Amino acid sequence: MSNSVNRIVIVGGGTAGWLSAGIIAAEHYSAENSVSEGFQLCLVESPDIPTIGVGEGTWPSMRTTLQKMGISETEFFRECSVSFKQGTQFHGWTIGGEDSYAHPFTLPHKYSENNLAAHWQSVRDQVKFADAVCPQSRLFNNKLAPKNIATPEYACNVNYGYHLDAGKFADFLRKHCVEKLGVVHISANMTAVNSADNGDIASITTDSHGAIEGDLFIDCSGSRSLLLGEYYGIPLVSKSHCLFNNCALAAQVPYQDPEDPIQSCTLSTAQSAGWIWDIGLPSRRGIGHTYSSDHNTEDGARTELLNYIATTAGEQAAADASIRKITFDPGHRAKFWHRNCVAIGMSSGFIEPLEASALVLVELSATMIAEQLPANRQIMDLVAKRFNNKFLYRWDRIIDFLKLHYVLTQRRDSEYWIDNCAASSIPDSLQELLDIWRYQAPWHRDTNHIDEMFPSASFQYVLYGMDFCTQTNPTRRRSDRETAKVAMALFRENAKRTEQLMTSLPTNRELINKIYKYGFQKI
Amino acid sequence: MSNYVILSQSAHKQTKVITERSEKYGDNIKYAATFPLEFRNIQACYPIFFSKSSDTGEFFPIALLGFEDAENLFLNESGWDATYIPMMVERHPFLIGYQVSSEAEEGKKPVVSIDMDNPRVNEDAGEALFEENAQPSEFLKYIMAKLESLHQGHEHSKGFISALTALDLLEPFTLEITLDNGSNNQLLGFYTINEEKLMQLDGDALAGLNTNGYLQPIYMAVASYARIRALIDKKNARLQ
Repeated sequence: MSNSVNRIVIVGGGTAGWLSAGIIAAEHYSAENSVSEGFQLCLVESPDIPTIGVGEGTWPSMRTTLQKMGISETEFFRECSVSFKQGTQFHGWTIGGEDSYAHPFTLPHKYSENNLAAHWQSVRDQVKFADAVCPQSRLFNNKLAPKNIATPEYACNVNYGYHLDAGKFADFLRKHCVEKLGVVHISANMTAVNSADNGDIASITTDSHGAIEGDLFIDCSGSRSLLLGEYYGIPLVSKSHCLFNNCALAAQVPYQDPEDPIQSCTLSTAQSAGWIWDIGLPSRRGIGHTYSSDHNTEDGARTELLNYIATTAGEQAAADASIRKITFDPGHRAKFWHRNCVAIGMSSGFIEPLEASALVLVELSATMIAEQLPANRQIMDLVAKRFNNKFLYRWDRIIDFLKLHYVLTQRRDSEYWIDNCAASSIPDSLQELLDIWRYQAPWHRDTNHIDEMFPSASFQYVLYGMDFCTQTNPTRRRSDRETAKVAMALFRENAKRTEQLMTSLPTNRELINKIYKYGFQKI
Repeated sequence: MSNYVILSQSAHKQTKVITERSEKYGDNIKYAATFPLEFRNIQACYPIFFSKSSDTGEFFPIALLGFEDAENLFLNESGWDATYIPMMVERHPFLIGYQVSSEAEEGKKPVVSIDMDNPRVNEDAGEALFEENAQPSEFLKYIMAKLESLHQGHEHSKGFISALTALDLLEPFTLEITLDNGSNNQLLGFYTINEEKLMQLDGDALAGLNTNGYLQPIYMAVASYARIRALIDKKNARLQ
């Protein structure tokens, strides 16, 4: 076995596999049969296993990811049923009625220097937090796009990510990886994993392409986690005591009229024991109910889902809906990189899609592998250690952040919401933050790393969207008068910018139609 | 608002069009759209840049006339002070449109329309469109010829722009101008030919541009930048 790490084998296609392939191949020059030149990336995909197609929402980071891979944003829109996502609107999470709040992708106005949260407390009865500090909530609640057709590709007027058709996205990435980035695509079923003397994976055996050797194996085999989970026996660390949702019922719902408006954010509507996502693509909506099987029956969850579809898309759509059930154990592997095998995607863990963390974790994992690709086998264990530390930390932050959405609820109408507020279900790290936030608003100091997944602004949007109260300073600060003046000016600036964007931006649907017709310019 | 109707002898035998150039007829524009087939004339008077349509995001060439909104530095009390007026300006209040013929032999048939709400259009002053004998006037013939060239020029321009974007020959730029009164001004939102990339084009790319008649207008646009100085001089003169 060669000492250098030149041959990467990805096991499994789907969005995780092809996105990882694209990210790594965009960083490292590779071409078919180029091992002699130093690097080869091949992806082994079973022709028989359908992809699960989870993850229809992305973070804004996907823009950089696609751009680095050399993908045209116009082509991406045309091929993958893409629409703009500017954040999430949460309905019924706080009191279970008409209550609603926004978590936009754009940071509060001038967030690098100014913490508007404290100043918003004095006007909280007049204006919602997100509306006061950022234009985006009003834009997406009016189904407007985050940019114009004259805005260059990947650039924005306000920050955005995407909603997309995961199946089409995987096909699109496959084509790009194979045709443009020199990724070798092998369509075969893996039949065995072959060990090297040192316990590494030496090769995998396939039914139609014999043995495929590699220096690093990336497990993108989905929830079965064939290499990391099944072969190496790295256990799953369940988080079901904290995040209860372990089932999802998913449906695809057509628009009543093909030119109906497209939502420019994900809608998340709380139910009796879970929540319903509603994602608007140009061609259809993806609607699903993720719930806790300990708190609701499948029939009960199905009824709630069908009610939602009937209310928002009509009785006929509910009657026609074909519903697919997915079950999962919420949690992640005890580690992600073991020996010369690293798991990305569902093979590394899965949790309810409340903040669309699935695809962004794929991007972050593959980017770290691409950037820190171990030079040789000796150094791989150290890179693996750093990778594991980093991603265990990230999983913990994701879990804290997701749980935050539940612990702030005032709902007491079902066991699910009551149980979610039980102290035993709340991680200590989150409880500490909640205690602190009673006296000081989240701020840059609350995050430990420069590459934190959730900036403190995200905590602000959820906390103050859900009526959390932070007490104002008991002592008067010498800077109070000045900062209050600045804050009021910033609120006014934001209001002005909001009005200006409201009148200049097209609707999500209008812009997407223009992308089909004219495309974006590169500059 | 405009109110375009199809031009006809019967409906427009009394119609006259004022050809005077003035702010009251909407000639106070910062730039005028142009197209490569008139670049030879344009570059003799104006700097040529590129702008992006807010409606489609597509690029189109423009002749720069001023630095601020509604500022046309070529416009004065006696009219438009230049040897050549961009065709897209001269065409007003006419428009060339296309009627889809029912037989669908040629597909589209050119039709001239006139904007009846344009302040140039009246029955008292200016150039008549039709003679007493119902024949088109010399003025109308001149305009028809212009519109025809405009149409051809527009089609050619589409290919020209595609070639520029395919070769990444456009780049955004900011023009920083210090005027005689000491004020610093920025001209934003326009695009220009990336001369560095132009110089690096290989023989095949250059031959491709040349065959389609795109190479000459590219260099005309580059040469036209020399006109910026004249435009700044005009601006300074107004500040006195």
